[in-house]
Amino acid sequence: MEANALFDRFSQRLSAAGGEAHYAADLAEAANILANHPALAEKQLVVPPDFAHSQPWGTIVPLLRDKGINIREAGSPASVADAPAGLSGAELAIAETGSVMLADNSLEARVVSMLTLTHFVLVRAETLYPMLDEAGQALQRLTKPGPEQKHYISLVTGPSRTADIERTLTIGVQGPKALCVIIVAGRS
Amino acid sequence: MSIDNPPQQNVILDVDNPTSEHQPFKEQLQQALADEQMHAALERFAPSWRASRKSVFEYEESEYGPEYSFPHMRHQLRQAKDYAIEHQEEMVAQFKKMAEAAGAIVYEARTAEDANRYIYELCQRKGIELVVKSKTMVSEETELNHYLEARGIKPVETDLGEWVAQLAHERPSHMVMPIIHKTRQQVGALLSEATGRPISREDVAEQVAVIRVEHRKAFLTAGMGISGANALIAESGTVMMVTNEGNGRLVTSLPPVHVVMAGYDKLVPTFADAITQLRLLARSATAQPITSYTTFLTGPATPGKEMHIVLVDNGRSEMRADPRFKEALRCIRCAACANICPPYAQVGGHAFGYIYSGAIGLVVTPFHHGLDADAGPQSLCVSCNACETVCPVEIPLPSLILDVRSRVVQKKGLPWLKKVIFGTMAHPRVFGLFTRLASIFQFPVTGGSRYVRTRAFGALGKLPFVRPVARLASWRSLPAFATRPLRDRVKTQLALPPQKTGQTPSMTVCYFAGCMTDRLYPEMGEAVIKVLQACNIRVTYPQQQNCCGLPALNSGDRKDGSIMGKQTIRTLEQALEQNGADYILSASTSCVVTLVQDYMKLFEDLGEQEWLERAKAIAAKTVDFTTFLHSVLLANGTQLPLREDGDKIEVITYHDSCQSCNCLGLRKEARHVIQDVLGLELREMPQSDVCCGFGGATSIEHGDVAERLLHNKLRNAESTGATVLVADNPGCLMHLRGGVDAQRKHMRVLHLAQLVAERLQ
Repeated sequence: MEANALFDRFSQRLSAAGGEAHYAADLAEAANILANHPALAEKQLVVPPDFAHSQPWGTIVPLLRDKGINIREAGSPASVADAPAGLSGAELAIAETGSVMLADNSLEARVVSMLTLTHFVLVRAETLYPMLDEAGQALQRLTKPGPEQKHYISLVTGPSRTADIERTLTIGVQGPKALCVIIVAGRS
Repeated sequence: MSIDNPPQQNVILDVDNPTSEHQPFKEQLQQALADEQMHAALERFAPSWRASRKSVFEYEESEYGPEYSFPHMRHQLRQAKDYAIEHQEEMVAQFKKMAEAAGAIVYEARTAEDANRYIYELCQRKGIELVVKSKTMVSEETELNHYLEARGIKPVETDLGEWVAQLAHERPSHMVMPIIHKTRQQVGALLSEATGRPISREDVAEQVAVIRVEHRKAFLTAGMGISGANALIAESGTVMMVTNEGNGRLVTSLPPVHVVMAGYDKLVPTFADAITQLRLLARSATAQPITSYTTFLTGPATPGKEMHIVLVDNGRSEMRADPRFKEALRCIRCAACANICPPYAQVGGHAFGYIYSGAIGLVVTPFHHGLDADAGPQSLCVSCNACETVCPVEIPLPSLILDVRSRVVQKKGLPWLKKVIFGTMAHPRVFGLFTRLASIFQFPVTGGSRYVRTRAFGALGKLPFVRPVARLASWRSLPAFATRPLRDRVKTQLALPPQKTGQTPSMTVCYFAGCMTDRLYPEMGEAVIKVLQACNIRVTYPQQQNCCGLPALNSGDRKDGSIMGKQTIRTLEQALEQNGADYILSASTSCVVTLVQDYMKLFEDLGEQEWLERAKAIAAKTVDFTTFLHSVLLANGTQLPLREDGDKIEVITYHDSCQSCNCLGLRKEARHVIQDVLGLELREMPQSDVCCGFGGATSIEHGDVAERLLHNKLRNAESTGATVLVADNPGCLMHLRGGVDAQRKHMRVLHLAQLVAERLQ
């Protein structure tokens, strides 16, 4: 599937699940999208430990700081709980369902995606795949025994939700109330 | 351990806090029937789920092609699960090896007690007093919460619905929507009491926000998190979990000890199989394409954490050893079979099940909780077969429920009245005599009409013996026995030459009318013969024919059912020998399904190989009226000799009888005949393919449920403004006619054959 069509499909499915999708031509544009987003009105952003030194997303940190965003690394769950905005990087995204795949072995990295109110996710455009089948293959790879094994992998599709009370849909339960995915093209 | 001796539970019930969790079935059912909120909620949910599910599957197929259609995907998943069941030892070994290599501890629990004790002892060793839980039906099955509470450990359910149910001291009433039976007012009241603060009774968003606050502390301080698994992936030792709320991720990440409870049946071989399961699971459960979170855990989530995986047997080995019930191990706990079930929508999950509810609950309960726990709930099944049409792993739920029913009958015996009725029916001469006598002596309650009406009983209807019968007829009039049954009428009718004299008949059809058409609605049989003869077909009517045995089989009475089955097969064999026939035709799709599906299963189960072969031979020639008319006669270019002057002012609406659509896959055939061949106006009623409530004997045993289903059906039919209600199964027609008569509605209720016959030259 052609790149634009792939993004359109991804965006449509994620919107149907209550999430937001953006396309950024490069990391600078991604930084703009973030900085201008209502969830960053207070200019506070939580990131996983060592995010600033990580590949491929680390270089977005100085770009955001230049825009006056205060970036702190996630610590204990209590310290992150209900922070207005968190940012993670994803392994891949799937157009079929509008999902992103988050993988980690660290609680601090994970709380960014579990406890912040709006969760932002960066994904490289080259890792936006058409079908869940590609996710299956990635899972095989990521769970292979060895030092690189990822113990905790999640396919995230939109914000947290429930319809348990009278089948009335409520967005935002225990997990984030909003999910915003930025697909980043070009060299990161 | 057999299904009659379930594993012993050491449950200490809190007598100061009586729960509604172990009420006897009758009480549970009465309560459920009186619960108007729950009834209204389930009635709203059922059609909306059906429509959403259909569209969410159709979308996937239309976007990605036939390999992503529901039938294709469910067959794929079925095969993967079958493989896992067949190779369970291998799967377990591989799963264990990979999970342990990743740092998990795997414990195999034979019984519920075993599993509960392991978890309790783990808490003891580590001094854990507070446990947070995310959804796991297996912990409901083993009654883990009771076990822990009785030993001073506090388990907190963190799924919103499960938590509210816990606050109300109730079980979830549905595997996926635990508090579908509660209103927002009730939820608000429960939350107010639990938190000690006033919580809105109206604002659902405010109520949902409560859980985020209330559970935060528990998440951060609990010593253990317990979760379930939607799949155990053998190739990598991975636990797969699907949730929407986000609590699952907190339960499995925050506390230092994580316990996964899962039945052995959760094993799937590979990630590819798990992906197929994902494509089916949320669509089947809530009509979502996918849930918000699908988590894959391979070993402890972070260094220093402990992960225990408790594999639970608790009767699953017994299921696996049974060649039929083994198929139920494929279940992925989606609850589609509950969502689509018409009686479930009337009574909810507390009555329609024990701990597991819905059709699958009726099937597995004997193995996990004993046959007695299932005796009441299984009686609610009307055998409409809707569940089988939506099961994402092709479990033959309807026939497994009937297997349970026959085991209940074996253990507890048949009610004496059924014994008398089925015993009589199994003796054709006695049965025949009885119906003829009844057709005479019924006069005082029929007054010569075709109905037994409540009003005909008059003051007599208040007498203790008479009252139950009079009540039976209150919401649908009962049929009168025909004074001239079909078997008498055919003697004259078949003596007439076929329509086109001088021409040799195009084919010969042996007509099997079925006991209802023969004794109650001979005019339907006459219409069938008229239509066949108008198409130049020679019709033969074996006078020896009796009941096909379906009423007995559906009541779990295999003895009488098999007697009648063998009688029917013999009669038809003789008829074929004497007169030859191209087809055996019946205008009762119930009888047809019995002949072409149920007999084979019956003789296979009884181990009667010879009868199995004979049944197959008869089945090969058997066809129902609608299929014959549409797919044989009309398909071959036969023209029905219709009247030119036939008026077309009648408006028709069509009821899809369960056997016709769910068992035989018929839908467009009758509609084609009505609209295109007869040229009549057809208006679709809402939920045309939902059971009318007849369900054979269940409409007598559970009249309350049957009455509601009939009420829905007639309301839906009337809403179209139709003047004629048509179906192709006498059982439904009897029920519908009775309802129309008792409620004095203005609709004619006809068999498709009658609608056609009226319009012939």
